[in-house]
Amino acid sequence: MELRINNLTKEFGGFTAVDHLNLTMENGVYGLLGVNGAGKTTFMKMLCTLLTPTEGEIRCNGREIREMDGEYRKILGYLPQDFGFYPEFSVQDYLLYIAALKGLRPVVAKRRARELIEKTGLRKAAKKKMRALSGGMKRRAGIAQAMLNNPKILVLDEPTAGLDPNERIRFRNLISELAEERLVLLSTHIVSDVEYIANQILLMKGGRIVLEGEASELIDSMEEGVWSVFARKNEVSAFMKKYKVSNLKTEHDGVELRIIAGKRPARDAVLVDANLEDVFLYYFGEKAGEENAAV
Amino acid sequence: MLRFELKKIWSKRMNQGAVLLLLVIVIAGSFLAARDVKYYKEDGSSVSGIFAAGRLRREKNKWKGYVTEDVLKKVVEENKRAHDEADTADGAFIKYQGLSDLREWINSGMAGRENYDYYLCDSISTDTAATLYEKRVSLLKEEFAGQGYSKEEKEVLLRRYGEFEAPLYYGYADGWKAVLDSQYLPTLMIISIVIIGFLVSGVFSCEFQLGADSVFFSANYGRNRGVLAKVEACFAVVTVIYWAAMLLFTGLVLGMLGAQGAGLMIQTDSLNWMCMYNITFAEKWLLTMFGGYVAHLCILFFAVLVSAKSRSAVAAVTIPFALSCAPMFLGRVPFLTKAMNLFPDMLLRISTFLRDNLIYTIGGKGHGVYEILIPVYLLLALLMMPVMYAGYRRSELG
Repeated sequence: MELRINNLTKEFGGFTAVDHLNLTMENGVYGLLGVNGAGKTTFMKMLCTLLTPTEGEIRCNGREIREMDGEYRKILGYLPQDFGFYPEFSVQDYLLYIAALKGLRPVVAKRRARELIEKTGLRKAAKKKMRALSGGMKRRAGIAQAMLNNPKILVLDEPTAGLDPNERIRFRNLISELAEERLVLLSTHIVSDVEYIANQILLMKGGRIVLEGEASELIDSMEEGVWSVFARKNEVSAFMKKYKVSNLKTEHDGVELRIIAGKRPARDAVLVDANLEDVFLYYFGEKAGEENAAV
Repeated sequence: MLRFELKKIWSKRMNQGAVLLLLVIVIAGSFLAARDVKYYKEDGSSVSGIFAAGRLRREKNKWKGYVTEDVLKKVVEENKRAHDEADTADGAFIKYQGLSDLREWINSGMAGRENYDYYLCDSISTDTAATLYEKRVSLLKEEFAGQGYSKEEKEVLLRRYGEFEAPLYYGYADGWKAVLDSQYLPTLMIISIVIIGFLVSGVFSCEFQLGADSVFFSANYGRNRGVLAKVEACFAVVTVIYWAAMLLFTGLVLGMLGAQGAGLMIQTDSLNWMCMYNITFAEKWLLTMFGGYVAHLCILFFAVLVSAKSRSAVAAVTIPFALSCAPMFLGRVPFLTKAMNLFPDMLLRISTFLRDNLIYTIGGKGHGVYEILIPVYLLLALLMMPVMYAGYRRSELG
């Protein structure tokens, strides 16, 4: 499976959400990282044929996806960021309906729904109405619907948003399990999720992919080091003004800072290993700091 | 997929309530319509509805048969005898209620639309009453002189009146009259269109409102069969609920009052004496019901189309109400009347407007208004289905 994105652009009025994006993806898990407004959701909507590009094209194994029409959507699974459902439907009915929409024969639909209910841990909730489910259960029902047609391309937009830590871990594992033999594109601004499950990471900014590679390649691409500094509380604001601070940990006798800097920020600063959160902050700067508060 | 679309509609408590409300209104409306049929007993007390039907049928069927000149003369004589035998007008009515329909033929048929006189039959001579059928045409010609009829309208009316076959065959048909000539049927049709509008309001907009649009449109059939199922669901809901309501109303009224008289001409009801359409009660029922169905399809498809475009259920709820009620009031403004008579709401009121002989000229030829409205709005309704389909399947989700 190969998705080739050529010169993909989407403009809304005068605003360019996706800007001449070029990318090739093959089977594997791709983590799409970017701050809010980077164009992630617009890009994903174009991948799912929900939006028509202003310019450029997306080719699936060499064929333009809009020309493929239903043939392309047949191999596509999508979990949108704002996953809506039919509140009066039970989980089972919901899955059977989406299965029908995906063109599964009733017998196959019933079998797949049963399998996925089992796999996503929704067996006890299968007869419950969707409106009665917890946030985590709804997301699990969301991933189940995306997997109904056993898609070759799975697009997940912020799949772990709003989940508690347990649910997030469970969900991450589920995605890893489902990721075999298919192309998974996972958008999030929860960096740790990407770090755990993505083979390839795409950093998106201003509608473009500014960097792509494995986590280690991205870390190596940083031209500055990551330093651990222990400072007094009254020194913190000065460090914050001068450097990019990826973490603050308050101790009883001071504050431990994680600072990204080209040269040693303080005499007793210790050079430490960089991680993906540092990369995120390094490339996205102050904005990333705001977003990453959720991490 | 159609099953799931219908399930989406039916699973909402509000929609279940709306259908229940319609059921209650239909049942109440049918009882009220039947209740208007009364029989007065010798002691002056009255019974109505199902209790009156049997007695009235017996009394009226004494006059069953062709109403020839001799029969008309006999009506006048019997009417006179009833008055002679009774001390009061009410007492006389109790005696002549079996011939009350035929008495009304004479009252309205001899006087014309504007000069109706309830007591005319009491004073008319038997020979004058015998000229009732001739009077029908002469009254029409008098109307031509007084009102601004065009040449084409006159042609249509004269042709239709010429096709009228006298003498009329009379019999008991109070069940059909209660169904077709009461005010309940048009009201029921307006209520039905508003309630069905409520039911179908979410068919095309719910995905957007619930945020389920992305999953819907990214699915294999999300831009073809899924959309087709929505169109089918609208069609099915409008068709099933409308016909169920109308058949239930008709069935209950006829069940209470009797279905006899379906083959009688509508002119046997004095309200329709001057009507230009030479059809039976059964044919009028079919015309009224089919016209109402076309109005439901057209108005509701339009509402659904707007709701699909606006991605909101509000339009689908308000448009049926506005289109079925507003033209009725605007039509009272004299210079708007002619135009308002062409709105689809007219199809909801065929049972009452049929007798108004509304004629419009197209290409130098006069046509009854319903001969124009029914095919035009049926065509529009049918055209709206592919428009709904094509518009919705191209939805962009920004």
